[in-house]
Amino acid sequence: NKNKKKSPLWCSRSKMTGLQQIFILIKDQKKIPIRRADIGKHVIKEYKAIYIEIMNRVCRKFDQVFGLKLVEIDPKNHIYILINKLEPIHGEPVSMRPGNPKTGLLFVILSVIFMKGGVIKENLVWNTLKKLRVDPGEKHEEFGDVKKVVTDEFVRQKYLEYVKIPHTEPVEYEFRWGLRAEKEVSKLKLLKFVGELFDQDPQSWTQQFREASATETSSQRS
Amino acid sequence: MSDSKRRSRGNQEESAGTSNGLGGRNRPERPGDMADEDDIGAGPSGISEEDDDPTRRREIRSKYRDLINQVQQNREDMLNPANNKLTDVLEEANKLFANVRQAREAALDAQLLVLATDLGKEKASQLHAEGSAFDPSAFAEHLLSFMGLNRLEDESGQDGNLEGYLPQGAWQRLAKRSEYCFKTAPSFHYMLGSFLAEPPPPRQRVERQRKVPSKEAKRIMPTQLKKMEESHQEATEKEVERILGCLQSYFADDSEEPISYYEFVIDPNSFSRTVENIFHTSFLIRDGLVRMYMDTDGLPCIAPVEEGEMEPGGAVVRHQCVISINQESWREIIDAFDIKEALIPAPEVLSQ
Repeated sequence: NKNKKKSPLWCSRSKMTGLQQIFILIKDQKKIPIRRADIGKHVIKEYKAIYIEIMNRVCRKFDQVFGLKLVEIDPKNHIYILINKLEPIHGEPVSMRPGNPKTGLLFVILSVIFMKGGVIKENLVWNTLKKLRVDPGEKHEEFGDVKKVVTDEFVRQKYLEYVKIPHTEPVEYEFRWGLRAEKEVSKLKLLKFVGELFDQDPQSWTQQFREASATETSSQRS
Repeated sequence: MSDSKRRSRGNQEESAGTSNGLGGRNRPERPGDMADEDDIGAGPSGISEEDDDPTRRREIRSKYRDLINQVQQNREDMLNPANNKLTDVLEEANKLFANVRQAREAALDAQLLVLATDLGKEKASQLHAEGSAFDPSAFAEHLLSFMGLNRLEDESGQDGNLEGYLPQGAWQRLAKRSEYCFKTAPSFHYMLGSFLAEPPPPRQRVERQRKVPSKEAKRIMPTQLKKMEESHQEATEKEVERILGCLQSYFADDSEEPISYYEFVIDPNSFSRTVENIFHTSFLIRDGLVRMYMDTDGLPCIAPVEEGEMEPGGAVVRHQCVISINQESWREIIDAFDIKEALIPAPEVLSQ
């Protein structure tokens, strides 16, 4: 028994599973992706040997109890996000809380990027937003420092990528979908909404429709 | 391998080695830098004079720089699918390259090619072989309509016209509809809140608020307060006095007949009046104006204290007791004593 106590594996597995779940849930509040290194540092600590076992338990708990999926968006750097396992059903509210305006802003940017082939220059984003009375040069009533929200917050959350275009002088940036957006956003649903706004059949955008359908099928398999 | 060829500013003896053509340099040379190095170039050995003509080389470099500038400054124009300006630039570059013999000019050519390739890639990505185009401006217009833009009546209707205003909650509306496209995990919150309360900030706020009105209201406040206190006390005092008056008048009529406490305080028509009577009578007893005693049957009786009897300072033996009554007891007493009417008449006008 003495040996058991000294062994690093004596610490309760279920306790550690619980701790890791809470750690992840709290990290997820700000929607900043979670690094495995942080989990190791704050939860697992010296019990690295059982890290994989705990991770499996955590994933199962999230899946079975909360209907959430812990997804590795960056296999190289071991970065995770939490997404909802359940598909939102049209006609039923997604949540009881009032919509977060930033979601609307993000939707606009993601749509333009997607509809324009996946990469766009930053000017296209700023010009489109200006037409929506959102000027990155001015403080906005709802969003505050718009440029910061778009190029910093959304980028840190991995909804967007804001990348320098090489060989440009003066430096220009381009926007792409971030790793979180790839996992969390349904291109097909997005295309359908765009179609509604234009009162146009989503299939009329053949390339986008093809890409959206392909992504949908592959994500359903995973 | 190419490290063998190094260039430093004062050194004119460097041998260029055999590096001719592409492959030597990694560092992209900026047009600004080149101007400085123009006259420093060391003539590499083993190259014919014709190829080494500095004037000619300068010319070539200058033309390359022009092309590079052209591409950089007119980027939008170059990207326009309606023209072939990019191809023209490349053809120019090809012509120039025919005369390039040495690494330095070749490096400029390489720089130009990199720029042109980037543009070419971007231009290609604009091509949509099939399917409808997507116009972000139109998209913005549709979004504004969805969000419930209130267009002003005398809008001229031009494109890019920023007339009208978005109503409150416009972005929330869009957000609610967009949510369906996301599989966002709901954010975690403790249902019952956390222990980390923050008392200090609210206190500061209250203090600030109080400071401002105090000066103005100072004059008004005291009189108001006095009035309030008076009215409270007044009502009770008046009632107590009235009850004393009742009791004294009964005794004046018949000083021999003891008055049963119960019969005195109970109002058979109102339980609440009864309670009030008990309350008011207790003041009289407390102040020594009335005394309560037990008669031969052991029932409580009440009588006013004679003026001479009362001694200030309380030499009189005092007892304390707590009286309680509930509706059931109240009814029992009414039945037991057969109380038909209240000895303390209800006040004609309800105070307050």
